[in-house]
Amino acid sequence: MHGTAEFQLKMKAPPAGGQEPGADSADKWHAEEEGRRLQGRIMHVSRLATIGEMAAGVAHEINQPLTAIATYAQACNRLLDLPEPDLAEVRDALREIASQAVRAGAIIRRLRNLVRRNDAPKAPSGINELIKELEELMQTDARVHDVRLRLELADGLPQVLVDRVQIQHVLLNLLRNALEAVAELPPGKREVVVRTARTEDGEVEMSVSDSGGGMTPEVAERMFDPFFTTKEAGTGLGLTISSTIIRTHKGALGHRPNLPSGVCFYVRLPSV
Amino acid sequence: MKDETPTVFIVDDDEAVRNSLRFLLKSVGLAATTLPSAREFLDSYRQDQPGCLVLDVRMPGMSGLELQQQLNLRGAIIPVIFITGHGDIPMAVEAMQHGAFDFLQKPFRDQDLIDRIQRALAADKKNRAALTERDRIRSRLDSLTPREREVLTLMMRGKPNKVMAAELGLSQRTVEIHRARVMEKTDASSLAQLVRMVMDVEPAHTA
Repeated sequence: MHGTAEFQLKMKAPPAGGQEPGADSADKWHAEEEGRRLQGRIMHVSRLATIGEMAAGVAHEINQPLTAIATYAQACNRLLDLPEPDLAEVRDALREIASQAVRAGAIIRRLRNLVRRNDAPKAPSGINELIKELEELMQTDARVHDVRLRLELADGLPQVLVDRVQIQHVLLNLLRNALEAVAELPPGKREVVVRTARTEDGEVEMSVSDSGGGMTPEVAERMFDPFFTTKEAGTGLGLTISSTIIRTHKGALGHRPNLPSGVCFYVRLPSV
Repeated sequence: MKDETPTVFIVDDDEAVRNSLRFLLKSVGLAATTLPSAREFLDSYRQDQPGCLVLDVRMPGMSGLELQQQLNLRGAIIPVIFITGHGDIPMAVEAMQHGAFDFLQKPFRDQDLIDRIQRALAADKKNRAALTERDRIRSRLDSLTPREREVLTLMMRGKPNKVMAAELGLSQRTVEIHRARVMEKTDASSLAQLVRMVMDVEPAHTA
């Protein structure tokens, strides 16, 4: 994509398998190392920004178990005030309180897993598992925006060599763009589909399709530019960083029209 | 007249929230029915069931606000108490503008919810009593003959018997008989009460 050249941060792998960098290439290696660290930080900040955008949905989701906990606890107080309280009932409520507290904890843990800085090396992973890990969080986000989110995951896909957190970051970026794209539609027509498939070339494709009105030519031309955004509070880095991430995975990030309406963004990754 | 105990309907897509609310209401002796979606409530709702509705604003499929609109379209009188998560205040304002009885932010103090439910049930009872009274008046008015109807219309305008007799081409004596029949059939104790009753069910009469 044009317009991104000055932003592209070189993401070369460190010297291969235990080989010492030559003395003359040491400086270059350090510069690359520095670049890599900077890039890691930018990605981390971008990931936090994406997660920040999702905070409203997460807050709403945590509020549900909190409501149940508060309500059960208050009802227990009332029951215990009775002259002959039914202890079995109180015990039922306490059990519910405990399980709702665990539920709230799980929501927070899911979010924390995403926020955690991750420098894990790329490892062979199943793309579907990676998507399913995010499913609840994505459904929460979709629900808050009154969007119907469907997952259509193909069976029997080969594994891909990925940094899980980075690919999940890309997926969240694409999802958030899709949610934005359908916001203008009446609630019943807002639909987003996350799909996986195997391409003819044997690559693995993960795509996010929306039922929105499509992109204007201006947006289509500039969407990969750093700091270009159509969102009120967007950083304008989501797609830029996503495409950098996918490039370092030797994959491709692109888009095509979605039928009958909207846009489909896809990521293709070489299979292991 | 039916004397059904009022039911508190709880519509929320979150099972834990629904169950906890039913548990709380049971602890204070209120009968509650829980439903997981606006659609299921709408499909099972009967106008003649007294009660109130505790409704989550934000739900997948038909939202709480859409359910409220559907109920308004059907002329339902069931009072609606909205419960909302944080940040849903604009939605709550919209709900109030469309006639919601009240709203509460989740999580809530149990007493706040119970107080509002009690008030909503009292309001529902009052509304239903008023509706029943109006139905009664309407059926009494329906029992009038066309001639008695004409006399009633002129009575509403405060015409003396003599003027009525002239306008209707009847004898004063006949007008008096019709007039007595109107008072008897409507069970009105005075002309003032009769006027109030008619205006209550047929506001067009004031024009």
